[in-house]
Formats: sequence, C-alpha cells, structure tokens
Amino acid sequence: MAETLLELAGLEVRYGGVAAVRDVSLQIAQGELVGLIGPNGAGKSTTLHAIMGVLPASSGDVLLRGRSLRGLKPETISRAGIALVPEGRRIYADFTVEETLRLGLVGRRDRDGAEADLAWIRELFPVIEEFRDRQAGTLSGGQQQQLAIARGLAAGPEVLLLDEPSLGLSPKLVDVVFEALTEIAKRGVAVLLVEQRAQRTVALADRTYVLSNGEIRMTLSPKDAGDTERIVSAYFA
Amino acid sequence: MSHIQALLDAIGLGAVYGLMAVGIGLVFGVLRLVNFAYGQVIMLAAYMLVFTTGWPDVASILVAVLMAVFASLVMERVAFRRLRTSSPATMLVATFAISYLLQNLALLRYTYHSRPVGDSVGTLAGLINAVQIGSLHIRWITFVAIGTGLVSFTLLALLLKRTTIGLQMRAAAADFRTARLLGVRADTVIMTAVAISGVLAALAAVILAVSSTVVTYQTGLSETILVLVGVVVGGIDRLLSATLGGFAIGFATSFVGAELPNQGTTPFTSNQYLPSVIYIGVIVVLLLRPAGLFARRGQAPVERV
Amino acid sequence: MKDVRGWLPELAAPVVLVVLLALIASQVLSGGDDVKFRNAIVSIAIVVALYVFVGNSGVVSFGHVSFVAVGAFSAGLMTVPSDVKPGVLPDLFGFLKHHSIGNASSLLLAAAIGGAYALVVGIPLMRLSGLSAGIATFAVLGITYNILRYWTRIGPGAETLSLVDNGSPTTDYLQATVGALAVIVAAFLYQRSRWGRQLRAAREDPAAAQAAGIDIHRQRLWAFTLSGALSGFAGGLFVHLYGSINTNDVYLDLTFLTLAMLVVGGMSSLLGAVVGTIAVSLVQIWLSDWENKWHIGSTAILPGGSSYVGVAIVMLVVLLVRPSGITGGRELGFGRFGRRG
Repeated sequence: MAETLLELAGLEVRYGGVAAVRDVSLQIAQGELVGLIGPNGAGKSTTLHAIMGVLPASSGDVLLRGRSLRGLKPETISRAGIALVPEGRRIYADFTVEETLRLGLVGRRDRDGAEADLAWIRELFPVIEEFRDRQAGTLSGGQQQQLAIARGLAAGPEVLLLDEPSLGLSPKLVDVVFEALTEIAKRGVAVLLVEQRAQRTVALADRTYVLSNGEIRMTLSPKDAGDTERIVSAYFA
Repeated sequence: MSHIQALLDAIGLGAVYGLMAVGIGLVFGVLRLVNFAYGQVIMLAAYMLVFTTGWPDVASILVAVLMAVFASLVMERVAFRRLRTSSPATMLVATFAISYLLQNLALLRYTYHSRPVGDSVGTLAGLINAVQIGSLHIRWITFVAIGTGLVSFTLLALLLKRTTIGLQMRAAAADFRTARLLGVRADTVIMTAVAISGVLAALAAVILAVSSTVVTYQTGLSETILVLVGVVVGGIDRLLSATLGGFAIGFATSFVGAELPNQGTTPFTSNQYLPSVIYIGVIVVLLLRPAGLFARRGQAPVERV
Repeated sequence: MKDVRGWLPELAAPVVLVVLLALIASQVLSGGDDVKFRNAIVSIAIVVALYVFVGNSGVVSFGHVSFVAVGAFSAGLMTVPSDVKPGVLPDLFGFLKHHSIGNASSLLLAAAIGGAYALVVGIPLMRLSGLSAGIATFAVLGITYNILRYWTRIGPGAETLSLVDNGSPTTDYLQATVGALAVIVAAFLYQRSRWGRQLRAAREDPAAAQAAGIDIHRQRLWAFTLSGALSGFAGGLFVHLYGSINTNDVYLDLTFLTLAMLVVGGMSSLLGAVVGTIAVSLVQIWLSDWENKWHIGSTAILPGGSSYVGVAIVMLVVLLVRPSGITGGRELGFGRFGRRG
C-alpha cells in the first residue's frame, strides 16, 4: 500500500468571522491523482493556499509524511517538497523559459537529481525545449500553463498541487495537460488537482472530492463520471 | 564655462544620483517601500569617513560601507519588517520619522557640544583637486563618480542576470508571493537587497562627502529628495527606469543649473529658480506619463501612497 | 440631519478636545510654555485642512503647506500698515506696497488665495493618483518655496516678515482657537455632505464609484480646493498668532510634521486628525519641558534638540505598533453609529 504523503485533518480556514473551509479531511498517497471540485467560492483555492501556508489554518492540521506544516512559511513548505501551480499560472513574463526553470530549481532539496528531472520534464513538455530562450510572456496560454507545471516540477516535489490549470485552455490543450498529470502521478508524485471542469476531473482522477460551502460533501470515483445528477446534487448540497 | 565641462559635471552628478536610485529602487522592488531615510544611511556612512580621518583611504571607505550596510539591515529588521503590510502612507511617514530621528540625533553632536555644524573629511579630499585638460577644469571626483557608477551598474546587472540570488531578487520584485511558493526565501532576498543598497549608499556618501568636503546632519537629505522625485518620474516599478530617472534628474539639475544665468530676480530667469524649473519639468512629465518617463508602454502607474 | 446620536459625537469629540486644549493653554499663557501651545492650536487647523483632502480622497498630498504658505504670506503682507511697508519691502509691486487691510479681511484673503491656488494646481494634478500624485504635489511645494524665497516683488523673499503687533496675546489665542474650530466644522460639514460621501466612496472602490456615475476627478478637485482654502486660512491664523513668517517656517519640517500628525492620529477620520495633532504636540511640549528642567548643576542631561528625537521616536513606535493610527481611522459614535472613517 502506497505511503500517505499529504494529509489534511479537520482543516479550517477563517476569513474574519466566516469559515471559508470547514472540517476538511483527506489523504493522498504516493502516485495518486486526486481531484477537488466544487462551485465558485466553495473554498478550493483557499484549501490549497492553506496547505502552502499562504493562509493560516485556524484549526486542524496539514501533514506531509506525518509532519505538521502548520505555521510554517510558504517557502519552507515549498522546500519541504510541495509545489503549487497557482491559478492563472503566475508566470514571470520577462523571464526566458530557461530562466523560469532555473527559478523552479531554487527550492530543490536534492541538487544531484536536477539534471535527470529536467530531462524528464523536457520530455513531458516538448515546448520547454522548443522555446528555451523565448520570453515567457510571449508564449500562448497553453504553453504558459505547461511551463508553470514544469516550473513546479523542477523543484522535485513529492506533492504537486494545481489550481485550475484548465482555465482558459481549449479542450485539446486540456487533454495535453491532463495526460501530463497522469504521467506525473505515475512517477510517484501525489497530485491534488483543483478544477472547475467537474466531469473531466472525475473521469481522470483516482478519486474526486466535492467541496461545497467549505465542506466536503461527497467523494466520487471515475465510474461516476457519467452520472451528472449525482455531481450536480453534490454541488448544491 | 564651456558646455563640455557642464556636460561632464552633469554626467558626474547623474552618476551619483543613479547609484542612489538603484539603492532606493532595489529596496522598493522587494519591499514596495520608499525608504525616505536612505539619505541618513548616506549621512552615517559619511560620518564614518570623518571619524576615520588619518586611516588609510581603503580602510576608511570599508568602515563606511560596513556602517551603511549595518544601519540598513537594522532599519529593515526593526522597522521595515513590521511595515510590510501597512498602508503606503504609513510606510512613508514611518521612514520620514526614521529620517527625522537620525538627522536630529546627528544634530545633537553640534548642539550638545555647542560647536559649529559640520565636520571636514580628511585626506580623501585630495580628490577635490582638478585636472586641467585643454580649457577644461575637471575635478578628479567627477571621474571617480562616473567610474564608480559604470562599474557598479555593470556588476549589479551581472548579479541580477547571471546569479541565482539575482534571479530570486528579480522574481521577488515582480511577484513576491509566487516566488515564495517556489521556495525563494523572503528574508534572504530582502536582506541581500537591503545590504546592496547599503553598499551603494556608502559609495554615494564617499563621493558626496568629498565633493562638498564637509559632512553635516543634512548630508544626503536634499539629494535623496531629488533622487526620489527622479525615481518616480523615471518609473519606480522597474530598476532600469528608476535608475534612468535618478540619472536624468541629476543630469538635468546640474546641466540646467550651469546653463542658467546667474542674475535676475524674476522667476525662472536665473539659476536661483533652478528648483522651480526642475519641478515644473517633473509635473509635466508626470502628467504626460504617470507611470514614468522610461516605463514601458501600457504600464499602469504603481498604486501606492 | 436626522438622528443627533449619529452625527453629534462625530463633531463633538474633536470640538471638545480643542476646547479643552485651549482652556489648558490659557492657564499657562503667562509662562514661556505658550509658544508650544501656539504650535498645537495652529497645527490643528493645518492638519484638519490637510485631512479634508487626504482623509477623504485617500491621496497623500505633500504640497499642502504651499497653501498654508501663500495664505500666511498674503495675510501677513496685507496687514503690514501701508505707511511702513514701502520702507521695509521696497521691491514689492505697487498695489501690494500701498494697500493694507484689517485682520479679519486678511484671513478671508488668505482663504481665498489658498483656495484659488489649490484650484489652479488641482485642475491638472487631480488626474494623478498614488505615488505620482505625491511627487507632483511635492513638486508644487518645491516651486512655491522657491518662488516665495527669491521673488522679492511679491514678498519678503528670504527675510522674515514681521507684523506690527497690535493685538494682545489673549485675542490672538482666541482668534486661533475659534479659527481652528471653524476649520473643524467646515471639515465635518464637508465629509457629511453629498460630495464628501461621493469622494469617500471613490476612495474605497474607484471602479464601483465610476460605474455609479461619480466623477472622481471633479470630486477630488472640490476637496482639494476646499482643503487649499482651509489651509490658506490656517496660514492666516499662523501669521497672526506668531507675528512673523519666514519661508523656512512653511516648508519641509512643517510638511513632515503635519503629515505625521495626521497619519499617527488616523488618516481617515476627523477625530484622527485632531487626536494625532494633540498627541504629537503634547509629546513635543513634555519633551521640551524635560529638556529644560533636567539639570545636574548647570549641565543639561538632555541636550537641546532632543525633543525632536523624542517626537520622532514616539511617532515611529505608534506607527509600528498601530499602523492605522491611534483612532484607526474611526470617528467617535455611539455603538453602531461609530463610523469607520
């Protein structure tokens, strides 16, 4: 049985008096691809930000290999082995593709594996090699998304978090990205995918949690992908 | 005075202001804070030159650099760190307060001992001497200023472009939150930027102290004000435009000052009105290009303050 | 205005504070302490005038002391008797040299000139926000100082202008206090008016305000002009209270001090402007007292000038500990009427 890498235990995040995320518990093991879907404002991004320490957890815990991450700074959590591909990609427009990858390497613990990892990343996303010296701002949306994921992977993380990577991408590009995620999970990385595209996510992931109004309402598996009614009911639970 | 001499002097002043602009711009980039107390870091470094009169020049300068870096790091630790999340107005007034505090502390040196204001700088003042080239009468310090500027800018550009810490600083300046998510250590980047700005302040201090031969509690103050104006006019958002802005205002002030006639009390007809001329230029530029004269097209003005 | 509980505390709190201050000042008027209380009263007028623009618009202006300056110089200049003036200021333009007006008229003149200057400056400048607005207004200060200092056709230039002293200290004080209260009432009326509210809405959310049809440029311009007029008026109070004026009195130090008083008190509320000014002034008064009193034999323990150091430290500490200022930008109110500025 694969080892649990990331665990959320009763996580609660408050904005002032309001709990945006309430009693969220889940576990992701090595090599698993887990989805997190839900309506706008459900608390999906908030959950990811809480994991990365950008937002403080008001109660509950986030554990990486059993070690609590509460109260740690984002850069410390990143260096511990969790990478976040942020919503909207947050690419540095003035950096070249090469520089972007170099930046991704900054948080790397294991210096020696860098070359091997980069080779694999370039294989996964051929655009990286093709546009090596181009400024990131001149790439298309889909290319930038791939670059953002590549940047996250460059640090050699054990856990990869993605915040709506399919945003603004054509269906074909969504295919490309989602396939890459499957490859990444096969390599042993634990992947948590936050998405708006409910059906595709449910079909892709090993299991998908539905977050609504800050709480997990249900868990879906790929066979539920065709059951629209079930998904919708979860959204509005 | 010939135009060529005015030109060279202007480039010299522009170079010093450019150095200061980089120092201010670096700190703004990572902290989004306009350090009004930068002039006092220069003042402290200049006082170190005074106190080490008689020491070998290199040692003197080294002490000045160490003091400037130390003072900057202390400021960051004590004040800037807490101000990071404050409103821009609060940040500005707080750095004003630090500036005011340090100026008046220095003033105590004279009031407490009832002595006249001002300490002279020692042997380094030899650089105040001029060299004669044809009909031009140029002080050595002007060459030093231009040379220091060129070397510093080149080294800094290499640091930012080629090294990892430079990459991290550029990332932090463009988008700090994402940089931290990638593992960039906030404290490291900030301290590096602050330390470099300290070194640049010390270099500016040496040039300014030697040029005026006297160090007072107001050393660095009026220059900092002008540089701040220049940096915003140039475009505070990017290091390059900020530096060009600093250089431009130094150059303009010196050159226009040399070209204006000496007499005349009607406004704008003599170099008594040099500040007004410069400030009107500043207003015009800001109205035409609020994001900065050298800012890139389509850049929104920085909504701070 | 309907519910008294809603607006009365908001106005009453600053007014009561000022009246208290004036009463205390009148007790100590005999000693040398009155100089410091003079500072406080005039500062209140200046800072509240500054607040009218900065607090309501959220745009920090570094140039407001320009309006104080033109107000002070015009009020001062025109109250020097016309038989004395040509001798003291021979370079003046004719109509300035040969006319003089009374005390009250000079205050109105000061307000008018301050307001007019602000209007002229504001028409182009109010398009700017943020840092560019700050620097542009600072440039106005620089220009004002420069011209006042060297153009001897309109004023004393670098010399100090001294007024002929024809009032008693008490009436001067009374005038300054009443003047400060007038500025407070004006600020209160403005912020409660439709224009004041529109400007505050634009400060909170410019996009939404524009969508609602608010002309931000125009609202800022009105506030700026009113603020300029009040600042000019405060300048008139300044020159009459001190009996003299010099360009250095109305330049960088005053700019820093008044801005700091406002921010320390809480930039977004009228109460903040008053509280900040009084707080900083009291610190100044106490510290300079200590400076004078603490001696061992004939050696002062605290050197002269250390009160400035003390004031700066206090301001810095307040800002580090409570960045939104003493009042946090709030006005005084009962329960749910306590408005966030």
